[in-house]
Amino acid sequence: MTTTGPRLVSILRQGPYLIASIHTALDDTQMTDFQHDLVERIGRDRSRGVVIDVAALDVLDSFGTRTLRTIAEVARLRGAVTVVVGIRPDVAFAMVALGMDTGPLRTALDLEEGLDVLDRLVAPGRSTSRSRSTPGSRTA
Amino acid sequence: MGAAESAGPASDVGRDDDVASLIPMVRRVVAARVADATAVEDLVQETLVRVLAAAGRVEPGMLEPYAIATARNVVATSWRDQDRQRRNQHRVVDLRLPDAPDEGLLAAEERTAVAEALARLPDRDREALLAHEVSGRDTRSLAAETGSTAGAVAAQLNRARARLRVEYLLARDHAEPPTDRCRPVLLALSGGDRRRQREVEAGQHLLECDLCARLSRPLLDRGQQRDDAVRVPISGDADIVAARQAARELAGRLGFAPTDLTLIATAVSEMARNIVRFAGTGEVVVELLDRPRRGVQVVARDAGPGIADVGLAMQDGYSTYHGLGMGLPGARRLMDEFAVVSEPGRGTTVTMTRWCGDR
Repeated sequence: MTTTGPRLVSILRQGPYLIASIHTALDDTQMTDFQHDLVERIGRDRSRGVVIDVAALDVLDSFGTRTLRTIAEVARLRGAVTVVVGIRPDVAFAMVALGMDTGPLRTALDLEEGLDVLDRLVAPGRSTSRSRSTPGSRTA
Repeated sequence: MGAAESAGPASDVGRDDDVASLIPMVRRVVAARVADATAVEDLVQETLVRVLAAAGRVEPGMLEPYAIATARNVVATSWRDQDRQRRNQHRVVDLRLPDAPDEGLLAAEERTAVAEALARLPDRDREALLAHEVSGRDTRSLAAETGSTAGAVAAQLNRARARLRVEYLLARDHAEPPTDRCRPVLLALSGGDRRRQREVEAGQHLLECDLCARLSRPLLDRGQQRDDAVRVPISGDADIVAARQAARELAGRLGFAPTDLTLIATAVSEMARNIVRFAGTGEVVVELLDRPRRGVQVVARDAGPGIADVGLAMQDGYSTYHGLGMGLPGARRLMDEFAVVSEPGRGTTVTMTRWCGDR
């Protein structure tokens, strides 16, 4: 990210996947920047799958949800599968109440589940590419 | 030093010379303790004066140790003085800036403005205010004079002060309110009367009227100590986040469940974004309510282009920008009460409330 101060978002590479973590509430501009950075990284790292961790987002309103959908759709066109993880129960509740259409957005409970989903969806034969014995390890 | 030693057992006659021969030694003693050359010279002189004064009383041969002890004492005393000076320095510092050339002029203008404002008050208000503030009469004696009660006089004084603040601001600015709504709005803000502010639509007016927006700033600052309401000016993306976080924090004090707080924050986020998208600037005011029930009220207000057909805008899926059309209808589903007032060309005010507790 180009902003100064603590990083708002981190994008880490783990094997054929990208793990994008949002660390704090983002405004619309930052959300859009994140979208661009992530899509660009997908190409640069030749990623097959993306996990977006949104646990630190205070709300997922219409813009936030739309951005996530856009990312997922653009990533799909670029050949990567996107899984959104970490939507908190209250945020999920608000999204439903707001009437958000999350459409084809793939979700999982947490990072662990998200990586499992990717393993199933992306090249089933390559599921050994990631060591399951050390789920916490990350390669940048 | 050799001179001093040889002069040790000298007779009374050579006392002054003895003291003079001590100078290099005294200077060494002082210089070892004090860095500043000028200060060293001062202290050496002071030591010598003392030694000279005491020379007659000091036993022969003891003049040198006496001078050393005196030099040390003089240095110690100077340190103590310096220390005291440092500790008390702040007392002599005059933080007032020197009089600028325009200061007198400004003070005169200030006085004129106050006098003019006082002159614009109704006679009764002015008399009461002057009697209370200048002559120091208390409310009870004033009440007895007019056959009223102390409380009524206090209320009258409050109104008079509120009016004086407004007139002062206008007089100082040499401004005449452009509309007949300005004075009532400023008065309501000055008095801090929230009911009255709502009646005269003060918030909407401030967005429309540049003069009142400017003049009202000190009036609003006065009221900032209120802790059951928060006003977030909206002019960009970052303010959307600020508004929803302010709403969450304020509502959190009422004991809303975390889910409710997120619902409220989401609704505020949507409305603040509408302001940024359609009007550019505006404000979000979050206020805690006690009556009829405990709850939180959010007013999102702008002086933008307005919504031509509110009914249409409230329909799901309707969107004038490339969004999902979730703005108004979505936020309505998140809150208990929801009202949109919009006038094309004048702006939009969304008032939404969520009650605390069971739904």
